[in-house]
Formats: sequence, C-alpha cells, structure tokens
Amino acid sequence: MSDFDPGRRQFLGHLGLAGLGALGAGSLLSACASSAGGPTTSDGSGAITIQSNLSSPQAKAAMEKLIESFNAQGKGTARLNTIASETFRVQLPTYLTSANPPDLYTWYAGSVANDYASKDLLLDVSDVWKSLGDYPQSLRTLSTDASGKQIFVPMNNYWWGFFYRKSNFAKWGVREPKTWTDFLALCETLKSKGVPPIGIGLGDTPWVASAWFDYLNIRINGAPFHRELLAGKQRFDDPRVKAVFTRWREALPYFDPKGKAYPFQEATTALLAGKTGMFLIGTFFADAAPKDALGDLDFFRFPVIDPAVPLAEEAPTDGFFASAKTANPTGTRALLAYLAGVEAQEAYVKASSGIVLPANPKAKAVDSPLVVKGKAMLDEAKELTQFFNRDSNDALQPTADTALIKFIDKPDQIDAILREWQSSAEKVFKG
Amino acid sequence: MTATISTTSVTPTRRRRRSARLSPLLVAFVLVPFAVESVWVFWPALQGFWFSLTSWDGMSPPAYVGADNYVELAGDATFRGALVNTVIWLVLFGGLSVLGGFGMALILQKERRGVGFYRAALFTPVVFSLVVTALVWRVFYQPDGVADTLLRAVGLEQLIRPWLADPQTALYAVILPALWRQIGYVMVLFLAGLKAIDPALHEAARMDGANSWQRLRHVTIPQLRGINAVVLSIIVIDSLRSFDIVWSLTRGGPYHSSELLSTYMYSTAFQSLRLGYASAIAVVIFVLALAVILGYLVRAFREEA
Repeated sequence: MSDFDPGRRQFLGHLGLAGLGALGAGSLLSACASSAGGPTTSDGSGAITIQSNLSSPQAKAAMEKLIESFNAQGKGTARLNTIASETFRVQLPTYLTSANPPDLYTWYAGSVANDYASKDLLLDVSDVWKSLGDYPQSLRTLSTDASGKQIFVPMNNYWWGFFYRKSNFAKWGVREPKTWTDFLALCETLKSKGVPPIGIGLGDTPWVASAWFDYLNIRINGAPFHRELLAGKQRFDDPRVKAVFTRWREALPYFDPKGKAYPFQEATTALLAGKTGMFLIGTFFADAAPKDALGDLDFFRFPVIDPAVPLAEEAPTDGFFASAKTANPTGTRALLAYLAGVEAQEAYVKASSGIVLPANPKAKAVDSPLVVKGKAMLDEAKELTQFFNRDSNDALQPTADTALIKFIDKPDQIDAILREWQSSAEKVFKG
Repeated sequence: MTATISTTSVTPTRRRRRSARLSPLLVAFVLVPFAVESVWVFWPALQGFWFSLTSWDGMSPPAYVGADNYVELAGDATFRGALVNTVIWLVLFGGLSVLGGFGMALILQKERRGVGFYRAALFTPVVFSLVVTALVWRVFYQPDGVADTLLRAVGLEQLIRPWLADPQTALYAVILPALWRQIGYVMVLFLAGLKAIDPALHEAARMDGANSWQRLRHVTIPQLRGINAVVLSIIVIDSLRSFDIVWSLTRGGPYHSSELLSTYMYSTAFQSLRLGYASAIAVVIFVLALAVILGYLVRAFREEA
C-alpha cells in the first residue's frame, strides 16, 4: 500500500505511520528537523549498514541471505536494517541528511536518485561500474547523474502490461489486441458478454492510474516528451497532454466501476476470479496471486497507438545507492560490487517471489514463459521509462493522483483539471 | 503543595523552612517533565513557527521567505476545502459524539442487570487498534460489502455507491467510524460525571414535582459543568487532530474531497516535501485549537467569577 511505491506491494503497513498523527501538529513537522535522526552506523569495526525497504517476508529473507553470504566472504561486515516501506519512504531524506547516515540504501534509479545526487548526498560508485562492463548501456545511463558519474547500482527491474487469464480469454473467444483499435474492439466484445473489460484498483492505491497516463503519453507523444513533462520542462495544460486524455476517454466506459473503491490487490483478485477481463499492472501484482493461478496468467503489451512513435515500455528499476557521508566507502563499494554480481542477483531472484528480471545480463531469471515474454518485450523497446514518480519525484505523484482520479470521475472537466494540475505541479517544482 | 496548616504544635522554625524551601522531590516533579517537554514539545513547536516562514524540502537548509507561505495559503483552494471539511468535522463529529456519548451515559447510568455488558460493548471500539478499525470499516464500505448488502436487504439499492471513493460521501463515510470510536469514550467521561451527582438533589427535585425532563434540564446538566469543560476540550482537540482514521481510509481523497487540515498538512510535508508550507498549515491548526479552547475557558471563568 505504499501509496507511493509502485515498485513494491504493500499491505496495511502504512497504517502504522498513522500513529504519527497522534503527535502534536507542530512537533510532528519539526520532528524531522532534528539531525539526531538516523541509526548509528559505522561502529569501530567499520560495519556497513544497509537500510532496506524490502519488508515483504520473501524479499526480506532473500536480502538476509545475501548479506550473510557477503559476510562469509570476509571482505567486510554488513548489517541489514529492514524498515517498513512507507516509513522508509518518508524517512529517506532524513537518513541521507543526518550527521551519521546509514551507508547503503535500497531505492530507485532515475530522477529520484539524480535529485539526491544533485544535492551531493550520494556516493560516487563509478569504480563499481568499472567491473560491470557487460551491463547494458541503458542501465548505465539510468544510473548516471547529471555530472556524468554513476551513483546507482541496479539490482533488478520488472515490466508492466495488460495481464489476463488465458483460460478466460479462450472461454470468451478473444485474442490479444495489437493496436488501439483492436483493443477497443476487444473491450466492446467483453462488455457485450457482461464482463467489465478493464480492471483497476484505485482505492488506497491511486498511483495505479499513473500507469495509464504514462503509457498513453509514451505511445502518443513519445518517451522524450514524457520525461521532459515530468521534469517540469513542459506544461500539463499543453494540447499534447490533452490528446492523451482524449484517447483515454475512448477507453473510460470500459473501466470496472468498482475499481475506484478497492486497492490493486483486490483488483488482482477480481481479475483472477474472472470478474474483470484484463488489468494494466506491474508484475509485482503476482505476489498477491495464488501460485496455482500464475500458470494461467499471460499479458500483452500496451497497444500501439501511433506506429511512428518509437516503442517505449515502463521498466521500473530497483537497486541501491550509498550515502556520500559513509565512513567506509571502500567496504560499501565492495558490497555494491557483490550485490551487482551474478551470484547475488540469481540468489535474490530465486528467493523473492515477484516476477523480476535481474539487472546483470549474465544472471538467469526464473525460467517461466511469462518472464521470457516480459524480457523479450523490454529488449524490443527503444526506450525504457521508470514510472511516474520515479521519472519525476515522489512529490509530484499526489498531483497526478488528484488529476487522474478526477478525470476518471469527471472527464468533461478535463481543461480545468489540467490547469489545476499545472499549477500544483509548479508549486512542487518551486519547492 | 498542600501542606495542611497545622495550628499550635508546629514550631516556628519548621514553619519557616516549609515556606522558604521547597522539597527537592517536588521541584524534581515539576522540573523534570518540564525539561522533557521543552526538548520534545515546546522547542519543536517553536521551530515549527520558524519553519512556517521558510521554504524547506527537508534536506537543504530552510530558506527564509517571510509570509509567502501564508499568502499562498490564502489563495489555496485545497486548503480552503480542508478548512471547510475541518469545520464540518468539528461540528458533526464533535457535536454527535457529545450527544451520543451523553445519551448513552444517561441510558446506561442506572445499575441494572446486563448494563455492564452494554457499557463494555460501547467502549470496545475505543480500545481497538486503529489498524483493525480501518480494516473493519473498509470491509463494511467495500463494493458488495456489508453496507451495500444492508441497503439491498431493505430495497434501497439505488443508493449504492463506492462510499469511500465518491467525493460526495467520502467525508461522511469516514465520520461514521470516527464517531464509532469516540462515543464510548465520551460516554465513560459522562458516566463518571453522572456518578458524582448527589442523589439527594434528584430526590429533592422529585419531591417538588419536577418531571424527568425538568430534572435533566435543571439538575443533571448544571451539575455536569466540570465534566463539560473536560469533554469540550477533548472533543475540540480530537477533532482538529483527527488524522489517523481519515488517512487510513481515504488519504483525504478522492481528489481532496475528504481532506482535513491535518491530512493536508501531512501530505504536504511528507509526500510533497514542502515542509515550510506544511508548517504554515500546522500553525493554522494550532491557532484554531487555541482560539476555540481559549474562547471556552474565558467564558467559563467569567461564569465562575
């Protein structure tokens, strides 16, 4: 449930944070102003502290295993600190700016990491990249900040697509669409059969709507325009952005009306139960799927709208960055090099439940038809985007949630919605 | 410090020592909590005032911008919406929990068989963990959930809507669980107050031929004055800092329709990372609470005088 972290599935963990609401208003806000925060880090032994937001049981166990085997190698000692992901997200700036910060963090590549790098908070890990010669250029570019040094080490990425149950598509006698026109025809067919064609889960996880915006925008206006828009170099009330919503409106009548009220986990359940036809979602949704249903799942690429636009896909990349203030830069880099290696990445992919692709090209992913198909789709793409909040920043995400949910409710007011979106985005960029 | 004033037997020297020097233990009882509060409450609160005059993302040093945040607040439609919602919340949540709690206390004050069960039942929601409360109510409101089933059972299916996702119902759908948690608490406070009323007063009123309505109006309510002050302060503070239940059920959504000042402050601070602006919202919340409570206290003192 992190509201915000499309990369991980969360349950009600964030509710724990709600307890903060019990603190006085004034003290709540300034609680994070004290620089006393942050756990104690490098003690005399030079142990490396890893702040990890991988708090789901499988991922946590996988990380613990990795750290154990690193410690067994004798190149240094590392300590894992697993934090509930919503708390982690809120506290991350505090960790990084504290006087004695943890050394290493799980987080996302792209503009999120670059923002921190521009404030000189991240350790230069170009040395680590020297040993990652066989990593694809796209990941290297993604891990490089504005000044040209690498500040991020990728662990894995995953893809988004329209997931559906093969048995249900067979039962309804429909096939995967290739183009937008096919897609709308498919929706019409499913609707005539009494099935809500497009599942969605916006209650509590409103960011899921951003996938629609991202995809329509990269299909219609292309990935470069999308990135500029999310970096504040283009305007949300631009006619090109409006064109995205004109297309979206064609699909709106086919959305499951109940999707507004429940989170994506329940939308997953609805899809598996055959109560919706298909569902645009990232592979992390499979964590919530019973294992016996996984074999029946398949997906298709977000349909092409304008063949002239170079093909782009969303492929959020997770990995690590380190604090510039680490007391043990050598040990931290050694640990990063280990985590980027084949052995560590294969172990992680095996141990964690999600369908993820290891970043290291030599590491083998889980061998399933779904993963093979996903990898092929990403390999075919000319451009990879991250996701709305990762290509912009977490602060811009709430403005998107407001605008997109309002559009889904009141598509007639699109002009006013886009004007409002632009003005709230300006406030965020201004800080 | 109520030293019982003893009369003759106390020696003058001892009396002098009493007045001149406080016992170190007593001083410690005052100073230690004060020191703790200063570090954990007063100082951060003062810092909050300062931050409200800055632009701050939580990482770079805060930059002084004067009254800019307050100027922006004045023109911020979301803030206005949150302010209106907070007032609605104060009136509805505050008013109904007082009425409900007082009503329940009146009904359950007489010791009858089984009354303990009802009191316990009403108080239970207060002790439930919020996470559980949110879960229960989410199940209640979910599509085809308990609420929808109830409406279908009585033939009102045309009213069915996504309760927490519909901007027209979201705020009210959240007030209900908030009341559910609060009424038992207020009831207990009033029960304590009712227990303290001297039965002789009611006896006398009855002898004078007062009916039960008149006894409530002229005996019970005036006698509860002390408790009323406590309840009012609690209700106002609880209303203004209501946050957890809203955040866990709707996050102030859909598109700010159930936003309260507290949730807006939180999301501005920790999602938009505009801590200066969020501090300005926090200052507004503080001023509101102070105004309501001071207003009441001033009136109360005037009546006393």
